[in-house]
Amino acid sequence: MIPVQPSILLADSDERRRETLSSFCKKKGWGCRAVSDITQFQSYLQNESFDLVIADADMPGLSPMILIGQASRKRPSQSLLVVSDSSKKEYDLRMFRGASSDVIAEPVDLNWLESCVEQAITSRRQEEREQLAYSFVVSEKTEMIFSCKELGQAQAIALPIVGRLLAAKRLSETDALKIRVAVQEALLNAFEHGNLELDSRWKEESVGDTDRFTATRNERLQDPKYADRKVAITSWFDGEAIQIVVKDEGKGFSQDTRRDPGVHELSPYGRGLTLMRNAVDQVVFSGGGSEVMLTKRINKPRKW
Amino acid sequence: MEFPTEIIGDKGYIIITGDLDSEVAGEALRTAFNHMYEQGKRTIVLDLSGAQIINSYGIGKVLSCYQQLKAQRGVLMVKPLDGFIKETFELLMLDKLLPVDK
Repeated sequence: MIPVQPSILLADSDERRRETLSSFCKKKGWGCRAVSDITQFQSYLQNESFDLVIADADMPGLSPMILIGQASRKRPSQSLLVVSDSSKKEYDLRMFRGASSDVIAEPVDLNWLESCVEQAITSRRQEEREQLAYSFVVSEKTEMIFSCKELGQAQAIALPIVGRLLAAKRLSETDALKIRVAVQEALLNAFEHGNLELDSRWKEESVGDTDRFTATRNERLQDPKYADRKVAITSWFDGEAIQIVVKDEGKGFSQDTRRDPGVHELSPYGRGLTLMRNAVDQVVFSGGGSEVMLTKRINKPRKW
Repeated sequence: MEFPTEIIGDKGYIIITGDLDSEVAGEALRTAFNHMYEQGKRTIVLDLSGAQIINSYGIGKVLSCYQQLKAQRGVLMVKPLDGFIKETFELLMLDKLLPVDK
């Protein structure tokens, strides 16, 4: 039976509040590490994973955005609660209100804290079940289709299959990051150069207070002729490798005329092909350049 | 998205707190850079410890900042790099271009 004792990291420079919360956690039988300074806090965040991180918004030396980044990096599902007194402006706290983070006002409502811990445990149990199930999967295929109009609004596209492989430890964190970069580059090419037919050289041509690339991009995202074009991302793995195909509805391009800038060229665009080729084991273009297949070998499944 | 900035002596620091892989992140970098530049800083340091990845979009923004400073005989530097960001910089030989601020 997988242990379900929640692990909590509590960082609070207020001694009274830290002791109150720490005692409450211990009475509940929760594992709790309580620290009072930023150095210890960041050390724990970097070296360990917790189900829930509770941090004092006024801790000296605390940079909120760095905190969020560090807290979510180790485990994306790691929950974060920021404790703040009611005098702090909502505007300053807005960055903490998200899918896996929230603000808890002082004085802390212990009942609500308990429900946050329960939620963190439920999330962890679900994660462990998925990891266990996924280690037995021999193949999976998924397809996602976007219109340019939708892609223009999306800040980032994540492939669920990569997240699952990472959680099942069939991909290292570095390899997952590499696949992410490769897919982003392929997607950018498909979206901007394929479907919207934008030329990177336009980034160096000024138009009003922007550049021709940005101005044309914005225009074409309003024009159904371009905005309704689709990008399809198909991904699958067969137990040995993950393959991702990104396909657009543009005119394609000739690889002979397309090269990334060299190291001594300082153009503010390009380099996508170099990044793609470095990130995965194989990059193959087809369909006149409107389709690219990325292949990355993965680890054998771990034995349970 | 906003990247915090800090002035220490004659250097302006930009603390990149997320991945440099989107238009939003690129604009946040540009805004922070302009803020330091308009305050007269010509040595600007990027702290990329908060980022896991940088793609061609982010690299383009970094190089735009580099060129703007270079035109004024300024310097764009980076805090010591690690992980995949370091690998990316080395792949594109940007580590030869941007000195490290230790």
